[in-house]
Amino acid sequence: MGEQTEGRPQIVGFACSFCTFKASEMAGSLRMKYPDGVRIVQVPCSSRVDPAFVIKSIFDGADAVFVAGCHPGDCHFIKGNYFTRRKMAALKEMLDAFSMKEKLRLFWVSAAEARRFVQKVTALYDGIKEAAHADAGKRN
Amino acid sequence: MKTGIFICHCGHNIKHTVDVRKVRDYFSAFPNVVVSSDYPFVCSEPGQEMIRESIEKEGLDRVVIASCTPSLHDELFKDVLRKSRLNPFLLRRVGIREHCSWVGDDVARNTEKAIRLIRAGLYSAAHYVPLEEKMVEVTKSALIVGGGVSGLSAALFLSNMGMRVYLVEKGPVLGGHVRTLKDIWPIRKDGAAVVGEMEAELRESENVEIFTSTTVTNFEGAFGNYRATLHTPEGDREITAGGCIVAIGFSPFDATAKPELAYGKDGRVMTTVDFEQRADSLSLPAKPRVAILHCIGSRDEQIGRPYCSRVCCINALRTAEAVRQRYENSYVECFYMDVRAHPRGGEEFFEETQEKGALFTRGNVAEIIPGPKGLLVRGEDTLLGETFEREFDLAVLSVGMSPPADSAAIASLMKITLDKDRFFLEAHVKLRPYDTAVKGIFIAGTCSGPKDMEEAINHGRASGVKLYGFLSAGFAAVDPFVAVVDIKRCSGCRMCERACVAKAIKFDEAARVVHVEEAACMGCGLCNSTCPSSSIGLRGYIDSALDDEIAALVEAV
Amino acid sequence: MQTQAKEIKEGALEKGLNRFLGDEGCLVFGFEGGPVGVRHRIFKGAIDGHVLFNPYFDVNGALYLRRLFSKGAKIILMLRPCEIRSYVELVKLTQVEPEGIIAVSVDCPGTVSSKEKVADLPADGPGLAAYFKAEDKMRPACRTCRERRGVVGDAGVRIAADGSLWACSYTEKGDAFLGLIEGDPAAVPGMLLGESGAPKGPFHTDMAAFAKDFAPCIMCKNCRDVCPVCYCIDCLFNGDEYLPKGDALLNKVLRTGQGAMPQGREVFHLVRMFHVSQSCVGCGACEEACPQSIPLAAYFKGISERLQEMFGYMSGRNADEAIPYLTFQEDELHDAED
Repeated sequence: MGEQTEGRPQIVGFACSFCTFKASEMAGSLRMKYPDGVRIVQVPCSSRVDPAFVIKSIFDGADAVFVAGCHPGDCHFIKGNYFTRRKMAALKEMLDAFSMKEKLRLFWVSAAEARRFVQKVTALYDGIKEAAHADAGKRN
Repeated sequence: MKTGIFICHCGHNIKHTVDVRKVRDYFSAFPNVVVSSDYPFVCSEPGQEMIRESIEKEGLDRVVIASCTPSLHDELFKDVLRKSRLNPFLLRRVGIREHCSWVGDDVARNTEKAIRLIRAGLYSAAHYVPLEEKMVEVTKSALIVGGGVSGLSAALFLSNMGMRVYLVEKGPVLGGHVRTLKDIWPIRKDGAAVVGEMEAELRESENVEIFTSTTVTNFEGAFGNYRATLHTPEGDREITAGGCIVAIGFSPFDATAKPELAYGKDGRVMTTVDFEQRADSLSLPAKPRVAILHCIGSRDEQIGRPYCSRVCCINALRTAEAVRQRYENSYVECFYMDVRAHPRGGEEFFEETQEKGALFTRGNVAEIIPGPKGLLVRGEDTLLGETFEREFDLAVLSVGMSPPADSAAIASLMKITLDKDRFFLEAHVKLRPYDTAVKGIFIAGTCSGPKDMEEAINHGRASGVKLYGFLSAGFAAVDPFVAVVDIKRCSGCRMCERACVAKAIKFDEAARVVHVEEAACMGCGLCNSTCPSSSIGLRGYIDSALDDEIAALVEAV
Repeated sequence: MQTQAKEIKEGALEKGLNRFLGDEGCLVFGFEGGPVGVRHRIFKGAIDGHVLFNPYFDVNGALYLRRLFSKGAKIILMLRPCEIRSYVELVKLTQVEPEGIIAVSVDCPGTVSSKEKVADLPADGPGLAAYFKAEDKMRPACRTCRERRGVVGDAGVRIAADGSLWACSYTEKGDAFLGLIEGDPAAVPGMLLGESGAPKGPFHTDMAAFAKDFAPCIMCKNCRDVCPVCYCIDCLFNGDEYLPKGDALLNKVLRTGQGAMPQGREVFHLVRMFHVSQSCVGCGACEEACPQSIPLAAYFKGISERLQEMFGYMSGRNADEAIPYLTFQEDELHDAED
């Protein structure tokens, strides 16, 4: 399970080729900065993300996972992200039952929204870092 | 397995925050990695040559190139493998520029991230198998949506190259906004004449079909074979096109969004668009005082239009010139933030307009108050640093370009994206300004952002050239990343079939398994994640490859 | 919900089933009493030894129906509601050909684990209901049962408050079953078993408790193998990706340093939990089969109930109901978006 090294969260993110991944490319072109702990796996559509990948990511050591795709209604594959939303909502419900709801995030970023992409992943990273800090404080 | 890893410096773009030597050394010790090298520009001729030599000399069967983002130079690097007689799908691109060196400043951390990303690519590539590129026949025809000058320009080029063209215009006549312009600078022709020439040539062509008062109501298919429904006054018409160019133009900024300027409340306040029509019938007093306001609806954060609309300064100059020409004793004052007379001859035009008697005041107009004797224009003169209040008989607002009214509808219909300002988004702002993310759909003209008439005409032609390039061979390579079923493992539960958006999965009653109709498969992978045993897998993105990629991103370095 | 009902008078059920079994290719899949208690049995030709109730839970009978595709056999299922619900799920998943099958669910007052070796449970409906009035007498999975009543499938056998038995038809096929019982349709009286109450609260736990409960797991996969709705003919967890052995295991340990054995325990259960989330009926067959007495039912049932509840769905309720992951609405689940 996720053990942060020196307060540096590891985030695994799934980004769809046509929207979120494009936004992440643009973020790079614009030299926007975001934490290096955020690492992206490119998938053609967010609907390719199998809940097993999310569970596996967490148990391989990721502190959090995000699944990001086109805004519903704008999916390059027309309806893929509706299915993504169903499965990920259910998976979140399951993680919530295990008191792990914070470990999975679902959001939509279109190809033009480089800034939004950076905001989302940075907020996720900072949130995880703060939560771990608070936990450590409680333990000490 | 013999993998070669090639790490690009990209000049200093990657090298400056990633220790490429350290990365190279890290992978040299890996099992199955036979070559690990770095190079200033792997996309250059010598860089490509180096990779080719490595493949042939070492007998590589997997190639990992760590460089700029994978969507760049895709064909270029695949060709390197093809030339070495290695299947191009045994290549794995790893983006360590847009996704690493450019988004972090700490060298040690970026280096670690680069190592992780490359490791993920390495593990993933171990699962790659040679794939056959599918060749599909393409229809040598184009659908052009929008009959303004950029659409006309694209249509002319394509029809001259022998392609069948379907030109669709929503309005009753062709020509868009240019048709309404008079005495266009610098060609000194009326828009109607410009459009008339283009239209005449098109109507003479045998391979062009022009539809006016027509909209596109349905759009489906894939590159090379799009099917569209055109809703014409005579009924619906189905057409097939190999590609599509979206050229639906812009909407002039609606100045009522700035109520402080009294547009729409007083007839003495008009826009440059209005002025275009009414210049000859203004009925102004003998010594008219005319104010011309730049940047209306542009460079304005407050109303959500932060961008510059590129054409309005020249329009303001044209207006100033037109007033001075018609009214010898007129007082013309232009209120500007900057004068962006960017085209060739523009600066000279600016000088001439001043010589012809137009005054230029650098200032922000805060409001226009209509009164019985004239319009009171209030603002701040930013060079003198003082407020002003002057009376005018006429105020002309040089309005900017807003995105076209139908941009959202067309974007939804064709599954292309809009940018933050709601213009159409190009695939890459510098390297691919005519493409969209969807193969075979291009954009032209002002619908992708403010441009002047010349630029729009050029853009239209360029999109036409790109589309022609794609279709001229008569067939096209399609990515083989479609779903495939392992019939030994398929339980025949049909969940994938029910989920499939493209309806590309069919159930075989006799064998009790499903199979994929590859031509219809869009390659999203929804089936793969729906199947609990992953018996249906998406080529190029199979479970084992993605599983190892995930592990590689998180394991200790 | 009932279309028609008839009282089952003394001997009428046996008579009717025997008449059915008289025809070629007809079978009844139900229960048989015997020296070791009640077991599943498929009856051919005659219904000797048939008993209506099986208060000893060893397996979920729907397991045996998987990959039954021949249309030739005509089968009447007379099983417990959780088993009929599993059957309905298997029909939705194209794992059973329903054409020749009439599914009859029998009221189930509760069951004990077959491992408990409880002797001499009552054989009649009212007797069983009285015995199981004290909830702690029944299996944990039964205590939280969402549907004990024979109201699923094509028809049901219900226990009336006065102790009489009633056959109720819910579909056309159910009418055919009803037709086997002599007598006329009549108005049905009040029933003994009522609707199950809502679950006490959404299932909630944490990774520490989960790790502790599943620590004894030996990855025998019994739970998966006996689960009626774990239908994959080749499970994801058979391969080297999740649970490597031999060289693959060696490579993994050398690469990751993770050597706790057996590998992948937690991932296996969590992924399986998600995979069966919309089909699980909470029968607890998994827990019954676990050699390490892991409290599987609480987890699998708890999670599946939560995940079905969020879509207003209940597994096995209706063969025409779409599986939640195979459908969507354009405007929904905004709370899940971050």
